[in-house]
Amino acid sequence: MVVLKPFPDPKMEQVDYPEELGITEAIMGEETKQRINERYRHELNRGERFWPDSIFKDLIVSLGIFVLVILLATFIGVAPDAKADPSDTSYLPRPEWYFLFLFKFLAIYGQIPLLGKIEWIATVIIPALAVLLLVVIPFLERNPDRYYGKRVLPIAIMGLAVVGMVILTLMSDVPTVTLEGSDLPGILQAVAGLVIPGVAVILLFLMSFAFKKASTQIMLWTTGTAALLMLGVTGVVLALAPKAETTEIEIAQTLVDQILAGQDLYAVQCTECHGDDGSVTTIEGVEGLEGKQISAINGHDVLYTLNDAAMSEVIAYGRPDAGMTPFGKAYNPEGLTKSEIDYIVVFMRYMWDDRFEIPEEALKPLFPPLADGEVPSYEVHIQPIVKRYCVSCHREGKENNNYWMTNYEEILTTGDNVDNNILPGNSESYFLQVIQETPIMDPENPDEELIGVMPPNKALKPNVVDVFTRWIMNGMPETAEQAAALFVAPTPVERAPSGTPTP
Amino acid sequence: MAMILKKLYNWLDERLGLKGIYDNILDRPEPRGNWWNTLGSASLFLFILQGATGIFLSVYYTPSPDHAYDSIQYIMDGVAFGWLVRGIHHWGATLMVVIVFIHMLRVFVTASFKYPRELTWLIGVGLLLATLGMGFTGYLLPWNQRAYWATTVGTQIAGTVPLIGEFILKALRGGTDLSALTLQRFFAAHIWMLPAVLAGLIGIHLYLIIRHGESHLPTKED
Repeated sequence: MVVLKPFPDPKMEQVDYPEELGITEAIMGEETKQRINERYRHELNRGERFWPDSIFKDLIVSLGIFVLVILLATFIGVAPDAKADPSDTSYLPRPEWYFLFLFKFLAIYGQIPLLGKIEWIATVIIPALAVLLLVVIPFLERNPDRYYGKRVLPIAIMGLAVVGMVILTLMSDVPTVTLEGSDLPGILQAVAGLVIPGVAVILLFLMSFAFKKASTQIMLWTTGTAALLMLGVTGVVLALAPKAETTEIEIAQTLVDQILAGQDLYAVQCTECHGDDGSVTTIEGVEGLEGKQISAINGHDVLYTLNDAAMSEVIAYGRPDAGMTPFGKAYNPEGLTKSEIDYIVVFMRYMWDDRFEIPEEALKPLFPPLADGEVPSYEVHIQPIVKRYCVSCHREGKENNNYWMTNYEEILTTGDNVDNNILPGNSESYFLQVIQETPIMDPENPDEELIGVMPPNKALKPNVVDVFTRWIMNGMPETAEQAAALFVAPTPVERAPSGTPTP
Repeated sequence: MAMILKKLYNWLDERLGLKGIYDNILDRPEPRGNWWNTLGSASLFLFILQGATGIFLSVYYTPSPDHAYDSIQYIMDGVAFGWLVRGIHHWGATLMVVIVFIHMLRVFVTASFKYPRELTWLIGVGLLLATLGMGFTGYLLPWNQRAYWATTVGTQIAGTVPLIGEFILKALRGGTDLSALTLQRFFAAHIWMLPAVLAGLIGIHLYLIIRHGESHLPTKED
């Protein structure tokens, strides 16, 4: 049995902390090392075996972590995001969450007058100092004391640093300047993240070195108060922060979703010039491109000669000589994202390229077929049809006699010819005439077309015309319930009284 | 049967020195254990988990701007249990950063970095930085909006270093802008350079831990 000297040596306690820093040799002399080693041997004697005791605990914790990771992967998963789009400069960058505190620190630092302009102090010097501090800790703190009560200063500083990192992470979403231009959030954030911890650390140092008699308790109180103040101010910052608008981005994950997303985008963005099936070779009714000869985009010429990347580029950057407008964000901040352009390409491939087979699920009909006497509604039937065939031109910013069709209200109440356009129960409504290949002539000038046939390039299919006709003839119901109320059951055929079999 | 196993063991023992490994590595005395001391091995476990899932992901992943995004879509949608493997890799990374950081705090609070374990601490700091480096390089690989713009800003920050900033920026990006080269070198750093550094440092770290033993929880006597 090893006989231990009383530890620590009473003499050691007389040495003051600051002086220890200077005369480390005396502290970490051979004698001290020996004492530390003996003390450790003593602990080993009343300890455990690495195998199986320690390993057992390690395995339990690792297993717990493994289960946790699988649960997170299964039930939360990885948030989908759109493909990288270098031309989308409006994107708000956010690093991985464990770098958010640095991100916020830089933002707050940038608010400081004068000093804030010297970027590299915050981006280089301060992080480098932090890393350097970590590296040199064993050489800064060379006294042999390990007990918490004897290491209040380092533990307090580390504690404040950790609280600081936590609150900076919590505040990372709150901008430093409000929409009204007030600097208040930035100032509060600087108080919580820089001023309070800074002052606390200076006080702690003063207590340890200048007033040597400062007790452990006072130092702990200082640290606790500072941490609570930091958390409190952070709470105020978060409470004052405007509710963050979460913009949900739709990410099509499966092939079917991508084809359908591409179809919707194509209908709105491309139908105007290329027609709903991509077959148009002469553009009609489009401002600035009237009569332009283009190649059909649903045939081999395009689909066989361009790969997906090339097609994406044509859509993103356009072909000025051939009349193709650029749709990417490089030319138009409101334009399509890289992912959206990809969906359009996927849609074109699977819909028109005969080397690709479209999955069954992607071919679901645009609207449920109508039974005899059934009245279509806006939400179930008209909306998808309008989106596919009409909205590409009939929206803001296009040449369309100011007739917009992006929602129910607009369809009924906009347009230069609103008085005659959609008249409930009237088959002479302009709307119904033009979709049935009958242009409306200008009453004041019978040689001029007031409204051409719609859509200009290709007549609608009879079942689509039928949907519009039934809808207008029955008073344009908006919801499925309203339409169901108008359902006229087919006139029942006169039946012979029951019991008598019909011949 | 028992005879054959015994012979096999003896044959292996003669050549591998299994008894020596058992005596020196497994059958060691340790101070009375506590649960905080399991975080180091938990970090090691996560490193192995990340390695295993990462190797699987590299089978399908393509490090080019044209295909990176789509190859991950394929892993998520087309490969059996690909979503699970990627999910584990994603959350494993988050947990690894958390666990490594808490491990560092534990070592700091119990002052385990003091004599004779100063070098273990130094290696540990290297491991922490390399883990963060893995997080930073891995974040770009999905080539989505988050990844692209976070890396743009991250490398910009590295570019603010006085005098050599321009050089660092270009070295990180492989040019003035984020491009195919950036993705390629982040990929190389993520699957070759940093894992090699990590594995080497982990080896030294483990050797030092076995040499000095785990530190005991300090009491008033320490």
